[in-house]
Amino acid sequence: MNTTRNTQFTPNLDARHRRGFIWRILFMAALMTALVVLVALMFSIANDSFGYVVVINKIDPERLALNVINERLLTMPNTQSSADDTALAESITSDPNGIGFFGSAAYQQNRDALKPVAVDGITPDRETAVSQEYPLTRPLYLYTTGDILAQNQAANVFLNYLITHANEATEAAGYLPASEADLAQAQQNWLQANPTLPIPPGTWPAINPDGIDGRLTISGSSTLYPLTEQMLAQLAEAGFRAEVSNENAGSTAGLAAFCRGEADIAAASRPIQSDEIELCRENGRFPQEYPIAADALTIVANPALAFLDNVSQAELAQIFAEAETWQEINPAWPAAPIHRYIPGADSGTLDFFAQQVIQQELAALPTDDLVRILAANISVGRGRALEREQRFYQDKLVFDNPTAWNEACSQPKGARPSGCTAPPRTQAEIYDLVLQEVVQPDVVETFPLYDTLLKGAAIQHQMAAKYPNGSLQFRSWLTKDFITDPQSSTPEAAGVRTAILGSLWVIAITILFSFPVGVGAAVYLEEYAADNKLNRILQTNINNLAGVPSIIYGMLGLAIFVRALEMITSGALFGLVDSTASANGRTILSAGFTLGLLILPLIIINAQEAIRAVPTSLRQASLALGATQWQTTWHHVLPAALPGILTGAILAVSRALGETAPLVIIGASTFIVVDPSGPFSKFTTLPIQIYQWTARPQAEFRNIAAAAIIVLLVLLLALNATAVYLRNKYSTRM
Amino acid sequence: MTNNTNGQTAIQAHNMNVYYGSFRAVENINLNVAPRQITALIGPSGCGKSTVLRSFNRMNDLIPSARVEGEVLYHGANIYAPDVDPVEIRRRIGMVFQKPNPFPKSIYDNVAWGAKINGYKGDMDELVESSLRQAALWDEVKDKLDQSGFSLSGGQQQRLCIARTLAVKPDIILMDEPTSALDPVATLKIEDLIQILKQDYTIIIVTHNMQQAARASDFTAFFNMNEERAGYLVEFNKTEDLFTNPKNELTERYITGRFG
Ligand SMILES: Nc1ncnc2c1ncn2[C@@H]1O[C@H](COP(=O)(O)OP(=O)(O)O)[C@@H](O)[C@H]1O
Ligand SMILES: [Mg+2]
Repeated sequence: MNTTRNTQFTPNLDARHRRGFIWRILFMAALMTALVVLVALMFSIANDSFGYVVVINKIDPERLALNVINERLLTMPNTQSSADDTALAESITSDPNGIGFFGSAAYQQNRDALKPVAVDGITPDRETAVSQEYPLTRPLYLYTTGDILAQNQAANVFLNYLITHANEATEAAGYLPASEADLAQAQQNWLQANPTLPIPPGTWPAINPDGIDGRLTISGSSTLYPLTEQMLAQLAEAGFRAEVSNENAGSTAGLAAFCRGEADIAAASRPIQSDEIELCRENGRFPQEYPIAADALTIVANPALAFLDNVSQAELAQIFAEAETWQEINPAWPAAPIHRYIPGADSGTLDFFAQQVIQQELAALPTDDLVRILAANISVGRGRALEREQRFYQDKLVFDNPTAWNEACSQPKGARPSGCTAPPRTQAEIYDLVLQEVVQPDVVETFPLYDTLLKGAAIQHQMAAKYPNGSLQFRSWLTKDFITDPQSSTPEAAGVRTAILGSLWVIAITILFSFPVGVGAAVYLEEYAADNKLNRILQTNINNLAGVPSIIYGMLGLAIFVRALEMITSGALFGLVDSTASANGRTILSAGFTLGLLILPLIIINAQEAIRAVPTSLRQASLALGATQWQTTWHHVLPAALPGILTGAILAVSRALGETAPLVIIGASTFIVVDPSGPFSKFTTLPIQIYQWTARPQAEFRNIAAAAIIVLLVLLLALNATAVYLRNKYSTRM
Repeated sequence: MTNNTNGQTAIQAHNMNVYYGSFRAVENINLNVAPRQITALIGPSGCGKSTVLRSFNRMNDLIPSARVEGEVLYHGANIYAPDVDPVEIRRRIGMVFQKPNPFPKSIYDNVAWGAKINGYKGDMDELVESSLRQAALWDEVKDKLDQSGFSLSGGQQQRLCIARTLAVKPDIILMDEPTSALDPVATLKIEDLIQILKQDYTIIIVTHNMQQAARASDFTAFFNMNEERAGYLVEFNKTEDLFTNPKNELTERYITGRFG
């Protein structure tokens, strides 16, 4: 049937479908490309904003806190301290109100004259200590270096002998044995220092000390002193001929001597601290840790204190750091004064007690202590500057003297320091100050997120070896402080507050200028202007202006706003020159107008488009009711076009927010820490800030630049969300 | 001059020519529209019916290229005289369009807005109600006055547009194919409505539907195009006479469906 009709068509359906399919694939590929680019962009930003950092503190914050607590312990009334445990034991024995603490070895030597006090109901003995039930158990360490062991055969053999016989001797001397794991660690370290010994793996070579000579210097903890003494005695018996000096100086002093190169081996009743490691490194020493025994810190009292059999840790804290009489702690106890006998400031035992019993972190220290730390570590001049910025106490001065203070504060409002009126610093603020001024954490190495996630373990390993005193932390460079802090020359302290405020101010001016002017021009062109040659030329010009490079607008802004209109843009004409600025036109106002000019064509073109899209029937309906042109425009055309106008304005303002080049030209400030206070202030903006940071050589600036990019993106999103909200609100109003 | 037969005039075109640029769209129109009557304009597509209608309330002003020559007399005065404000003319001579075009506002505001901008001082609720009643829409919308005008059906929207026009109290209502976008039921409703409105208003209606003109109008004007595609008035008479006893052969051919 109708073959002629069919021969006129070659439907070729397959080929048509195939062509459609290919186009579909191509469109999808385009979308995928866009997605990949977006994800890559996001990742590269996140990659630099988060990741591992190695932080080295100039001063260990724990040490600072410990010093404060030690100081408090040592300055309590009726408190005597001594580095010599025997002397302490004797004093307690002869004082009916005496109480104190030292290592379990010292207690064992004086057990007949002293009474041990249980802590939290647990008496220190071998069993409770090994099971760690007794709360004041701690490992004891020797420190030396692989180099020393390789060069000093006497030290090498001493340590070998100690590791071999430690657990036999410790119990004899009243110590507790080191745990298996600790001992294995010690053996491992020693073997590393002796790589050439021909021994099968998994065995421990005990070296015969007979005939070994040379020099050996040991210094350190009084707790360990009895053990080292006994070991040396045993060695001497076995034929060890080296010239030996064993000093009972306290853990801190011993470690210091070791790090300075004055001792071969340090004995310590606490782990080495980061500042001590730093001192060692400066002297080319890389300390190795040998846990060789354990100790139970024992609370001892004069037997006359019959009521004192058991105390809680809280009561212990009160006994040594707060109360003057027994009764203050427990009403059932006598009103007699507490007489304290404690180890000296250089003692690891005192540190351990402070850490374990008083337990206070630097951040939790009261204001008084924090201020004392500050005063001890910064110059008076710096302190005075800080105090004038914001004082430490409402009612007293720490650094400044009252006469100078009053004189400074009697100056007129603009010239007087902010500390005169600002409320005093809070504890948290003072803590931040201590961190900044004293602890001075320094980021010495940073890793991108990619490495942190995929090579975390390797990084941990490498960094532990490279910076034994550094701490590896996961750092988000985008923090609350980063947003609220002003600019700074150190990346760790730098923030974007000034830049955020600058951006907001500039963009506010930009919007206030370009939105009404742009929409007004568009309304005129669309609703009023006759279709004549002049208006066509105008239209073409506007279209072309939208394509002019932004840097040219920067030059225009420089010529007009910064130079020609300087009297206005600097605020001089109104007598409003910002107090922090010399009168010139490089102000927020100039920047806002320049960016306003830049986006004006965009806003006009978009608004015209939106107005043109309003159906003619709407205008006709309005005019046919006897409305004027203006009423028609205002009541019908603009509301109908508003969603489109706003969409265009969002894009334009987003562009302005991200502009850098024109602002560089009109002279945004490169380094500014003062918040902008109005349209006549100097300013910087987020893109400028990012641009400057990326130009810096230090790696950390790249990190904070990435964090600032995130802030900028969030700001953009927030701005757009507001506009979208406004748009939806207006377009749903029927 | 072509006259209606009862001698009274609501609005009158006198030697009117309308140009779009250099193109003459209608030529030498003389038309005398009777008050409180329905006058239908019919004719083939493109013969200038809408153009003539728009000339009566100066809606042609909105078309930049349009130009009117001759006179349109309203209350004896030419509405194209230089001292006449087209805004005032359009309030007195309202217009209903081919496609219903309510404002993107509530039903209430659709009716009230025109009165409000024209400085109406009376009770607005009353005005809205009476306008909607006159447009035979009140019963259908009285419970949803705050809903969007777009929520109504096409026929209801067109009656809303009529109510909106009535609210500014015009003399004359121009309607340009007001039912061409509607279904037959809605069309009949509008036709009935027009019959009622005629008691108070002069109505000029363009229609391409001959039955409608025959059914619903008192007078009919038939237009045609000449060789230069310019529209001219062929015959104007009482509807009854024009349909039963056309004087012009063209009219006869047109109304019997043999051309156009
Ligand atoms: N806005 C306009 N611009 C130019 N020519 C127009 C315009 N409107 C109508 N015309 C022309 O005027 C003539 C009459 O049109 P119109 O009045 O719409 O006829 P009808 O309503 O009878 O179909 C047509 O030839 C049309 O092309
Ligand atoms: Mg028409």
